[in-house]
Amino acid sequence: MGIKGVSRLLLCMTLLAATTSWAAEIHGRSSTQYQWFTDYVTGNKQAEFGEYINLSITKVDTAGKLSFTGYGRGTQDVWNGQGLNGRLYYLYGDYANLFGMVDIRAGRQFINYAAGSALVDGGKLDLKNVGPIAFSAFGGRNVIFNLDGEASTGHDYVWGLAANLVGMKNTDAEVSYFMKLDDAGTAREQIGVTAKQYLLNSLKLYGNARYDLTSESFSEVLAGVKFFPVSNLVVTGEWYQSYPIFDNSSIYSVFAVDRYQEALFRADYSLNEKFSVNAGYNRQIYGEGPDVNAYSVGTRIRPIEPLLVSLTYDFQNGDGNKLNGGSAELSYEPIKPLELALGIDYDVYERDRATGRETARKYWAGTKYRLNKTMTASVRVEDNVNHQFTNDWSGRAAFNYDF
Amino acid sequence: MKKLAFVLAVLCLGLFCLQQKSYAEKKTPHAEYKDSAIKDCNDCHKSEGVALNHDADFLRGHRVLASKSGKNCDQCHEQKWCLDCHQGGGTADNLSQSNFGRDYKPKSHRSDFLSIHPIKAIDNPQNCYRCHDAVAFCNSCHNRFPRGSFRIKSHLMSGPDHQTYSFGIGEHSIEARRNLQSCQTCHPEGDVCIQCHSTGKTRPHPRNWKSGNIKDRTNAKMCLKCHLPGTF
Repeated sequence: MGIKGVSRLLLCMTLLAATTSWAAEIHGRSSTQYQWFTDYVTGNKQAEFGEYINLSITKVDTAGKLSFTGYGRGTQDVWNGQGLNGRLYYLYGDYANLFGMVDIRAGRQFINYAAGSALVDGGKLDLKNVGPIAFSAFGGRNVIFNLDGEASTGHDYVWGLAANLVGMKNTDAEVSYFMKLDDAGTAREQIGVTAKQYLLNSLKLYGNARYDLTSESFSEVLAGVKFFPVSNLVVTGEWYQSYPIFDNSSIYSVFAVDRYQEALFRADYSLNEKFSVNAGYNRQIYGEGPDVNAYSVGTRIRPIEPLLVSLTYDFQNGDGNKLNGGSAELSYEPIKPLELALGIDYDVYERDRATGRETARKYWAGTKYRLNKTMTASVRVEDNVNHQFTNDWSGRAAFNYDF
Repeated sequence: MKKLAFVLAVLCLGLFCLQQKSYAEKKTPHAEYKDSAIKDCNDCHKSEGVALNHDADFLRGHRVLASKSGKNCDQCHEQKWCLDCHQGGGTADNLSQSNFGRDYKPKSHRSDFLSIHPIKAIDNPQNCYRCHDAVAFCNSCHNRFPRGSFRIKSHLMSGPDHQTYSFGIGEHSIEARRNLQSCQTCHPEGDVCIQCHSTGKTRPHPRNWKSGNIKDRTNAKMCLKCHLPGTF
């Protein structure tokens, strides 16, 4: 199906090449890439060429209401015999402002409601300008990707409805409904709510919840507050809980599970344009077993305009597992069209006492050069050193053309 | 009837108030600021009383920002921007962006994530499934490994030479209750669970089990995996 999708995209592009004669505007990006990496499933080294096409076609009609947007890729393995592979991320047509109040989108698209999200082959209809509340409905085939292609079956469908506040400067709210179907019938049925409220010029209250109608329980609840007394300081406090929910067609939907809870405190501070720092703590709580404490700190330093240094570190322990590590990245633009970057990720982790501590490192470096306003070339290489590999090289070379 | 009329009247009044308020207030369109540097957003955001939202906390916290209501992401970003991480792929704009095979790997997947993911997967189990399908994605890899090769406490090899596979019944309930999704990745049909958890054996259901809900939604297909017709 992935290959078919890419073929569809290429066919569409060919047909649309003729549209230039009626003044439609076609913009987008072609990214031609060569990648080499280890296929961790087979353990083999793999190299392949890839072509990404991202395009939008506007002004198709005189009123400018109709447009098309697409994004997909095709890859051809040249070492392992995996052959041609493809993935169509989206390809949809938009018709905006029908009767001044309806937007229609048809084709493959990503939908994100408070009650659920999905990649869908189908349609979405938005009703707007009908007062302080806007309405939305979508439905179609549920597109599920696995590692190398699509894993959807003939019975995978999703649909949903949403209503949300519009026009309020300081308030956002949405209520939505999401249903997922599979070969056993109704796989999921969820209601979602999300809301944001700004107060007193320095407070933001927000929340998000998903309620599963089958198990009659909240699968997720998030409540948070952001306090920003000055423009360069944001203090965040959040409480979150989740309860794992499975499709009704899964045997796991009948099993008892533990509720997960998390409390988070975090501060982000920018001293000036050259220096910012952040720190956070979260406590992860399960019904049974020990709690986990996780700490994180990070900083971004720009000592001179073309140089940026980013550092992060985090540490978590408490449930028998330990994770202790961070990353350092450096980006430098010696001249305007040239960017040089390098970095290291370093982690020391312990999954249980029997295995002891293990170390994983990743070293990477890359360079990007802008040839002109529309063309960019880049190369990035990476070496992974860990308990599986003394050296595991991978990388990508890309040539991007914006049209 | 009076109650219904009262509720409808309150709803209408609420909608009217909201409408008046929405006429008076309008959100700022962001399309014209599309190419601005993030640092240039700060002054305006603060003067408008809106928290900065593209800071170092963006990766963790963008889920609420990107929800439908009030979402203005699409004034600057195409869906590509979301799907490069959520569905894999990308046009190599960011040099610090790593790949897992041909797909983009988000920064939450640092260094040797193959080895580290069992630790991260029990943090918040929902995190994995926002981008990955528990069966289709995880099973692509998990079902290729031989029994006992995972370092799961209840599945560790035992015996003097660590070559004997013996299932740890005591450990498995804690592990399963804590992250049942991980069981599903290798046992998608749950056959091993049913051996002990079917009718007349150890009851697996939660205390507030709503059996009728799942029976109605699956036409009893799920119940029949363990129960005889007419016994549930």
